[in-house]
Amino acid sequence: MKHKYRFTALLLITVAACACLLTGIYRRWQTTEEDTEKVIVVTSFYPMYIATENVAGDCTAIEVKNLSEPQTGCLHDFQLTPEDMKLLSTADMFVINGGGMESFLDDVTKQYPKLNIVETIADEADEVDTDGQETIHGHEDTPDHAEETEHTHSHEEDADDHGSEEGSHEHGHTHDNAHEWMSVSHYRSQVEKIKDALCEAFPEYQEVFQENAKAYDDKLAALQAQQEKIEKAASGTKIITFHEAYEYVAEDYGLDICYTMDLDEERQISAGEVADVLKEINENDVKIILAEKLYGSKLAETIQKEADVNVYYLDTLVRGDYDKESYIKGMQENINILKAAFGVD
Amino acid sequence: MGLEYGFMRNAFVAILIITPLFGMLGTMIVSRKMAFFSDALGHSALTGIAFGVILGVADTNITMVVFGIAFALLLNYISSKSGTSTDTIISVFSSCSVAIGLAILSKGGNFSKYSSLLVGDILSISKWEIVSLFVIFVVAYVFFFCCFNYLHAASIHRTLAKSRQIPVRLVENLFAVLIAVIVMLSIKWVGILIINALLILPAAASRNLSANMREYHFFSILFSLFSGILGLFVSYYTNVATGPMIVIFASILYFATYLYTRKYQG
Repeated sequence: MKHKYRFTALLLITVAACACLLTGIYRRWQTTEEDTEKVIVVTSFYPMYIATENVAGDCTAIEVKNLSEPQTGCLHDFQLTPEDMKLLSTADMFVINGGGMESFLDDVTKQYPKLNIVETIADEADEVDTDGQETIHGHEDTPDHAEETEHTHSHEEDADDHGSEEGSHEHGHTHDNAHEWMSVSHYRSQVEKIKDALCEAFPEYQEVFQENAKAYDDKLAALQAQQEKIEKAASGTKIITFHEAYEYVAEDYGLDICYTMDLDEERQISAGEVADVLKEINENDVKIILAEKLYGSKLAETIQKEADVNVYYLDTLVRGDYDKESYIKGMQENINILKAAFGVD
Repeated sequence: MGLEYGFMRNAFVAILIITPLFGMLGTMIVSRKMAFFSDALGHSALTGIAFGVILGVADTNITMVVFGIAFALLLNYISSKSGTSTDTIISVFSSCSVAIGLAILSKGGNFSKYSSLLVGDILSISKWEIVSLFVIFVVAYVFFFCCFNYLHAASIHRTLAKSRQIPVRLVENLFAVLIAVIVMLSIKWVGILIINALLILPAAASRNLSANMREYHFFSILFSLFSGILGLFVSYYTNVATGPMIVIFASILYFATYLYTRKYQG
């Protein structure tokens, strides 16, 4: 009888000690030396990280960190982890794409109402900000988020979580398509906005930001020049895309999309939709399909068997290595693919 | 310890309330062989949410709880009427409700929006939920205080209990409703896939050790609370979902007690 209680006590203590020990080891192994003196700029996901890193990366006083990434799919479905919340609590600035891309934004504003959030999405999509000057969206005074902010305040005490979840989903649909970084010209303006926001928030490093942004923008401009070459050959070509992000690609090259099927990780395609795609291909005499390797290839193979089309797999640039140049590399690859597709050299 | 963050405080309080409750109800679920029943209930949360979405209710918690209660009562009713064995009926109901839920929620390829329900999301615990958990906590204790002997009698010998003027069906239904409400209120942060483990494992581990009812409940609540708190903090530091972490600790306890029993008492 006694034995049993001793065993239980021993068991619980052992398990707790092992857990603490292993967690401690894991923590030590994970954490890199952190400089608390640094200004921390957190970015919401990969393209934002690369853009910010290019503008502020070599400034020693600033550390750019990205939120932990979803392994699959777009950001739509990403849930913040406690680690991310901690990271955001130390952040001095939070760079996001905006336009509903960050569906977890409500959670963030609820926890950290004072966080300086920089939205980089283009203004024309952002009906309220038409002057094109306002770049820092301190969340509280941005008109298009007023409702959200109010919601945050009134429910601060008894936050009805699900209500806000729904809200964020609705918010997520306010922009049909927020994959702005897929277009080089849009991406350039995003970089510009990040630069402006950084300059305003940390004026002491203004020159570094300006210089970096200029250098990066030159590289992007070179990409755009290549795109314009392709555009001449490609403009007006009818295509089908398997990801809504390619609408921005189409815009860059003046392509005419006759059908978009938005595929992502958990999307089940029904037979009817496949038939729709095939019908569109035949009706419009489409020769080119743009698809994403991960989610689109199965469907694309099926379609290729049924119809005489070429499928080109473009990178949506939502994840990759944390190299500064990786956006440019990825975009260059996409450009090369399209060059081959349209026979431009 | 991470308690300076609001979401961690909420989670911690929720765990302090919910794990003893899980431990306590778990004993009854295990001895009444209702493990599958509570599993089915967890799955029906999907359908509850789906109905909420269809009806356009802002707070799908409400439809989830209402549906859970209805589901539990219906299950009880059918299994008392029908001649087929209970686990078949539960399985039929469970898969049917999961299918309906999946069909509705996946319409338009949007299921990924709800996938956090499967593994749970600790950030989703709000103050409102803590208050309702606390109310349930009190209700559950009152219920156990008044009806435990009835329930226990019914689980040992239903017919005999009936002959002693015990309102077996009423007590059973109340118990089912209680489980339904608790499961529904905690499913968002524990996750559909593993919520049942939280109910079953501490009680099962405790059954390995205990010699009487008092010990049975004591160990069950102790194990449940222990794995809950440890799981929360380990998951916080290792950046893993909380529900699975808690279940891992509960399983370790189960296996340890199992081996212990084999060695010393088997």
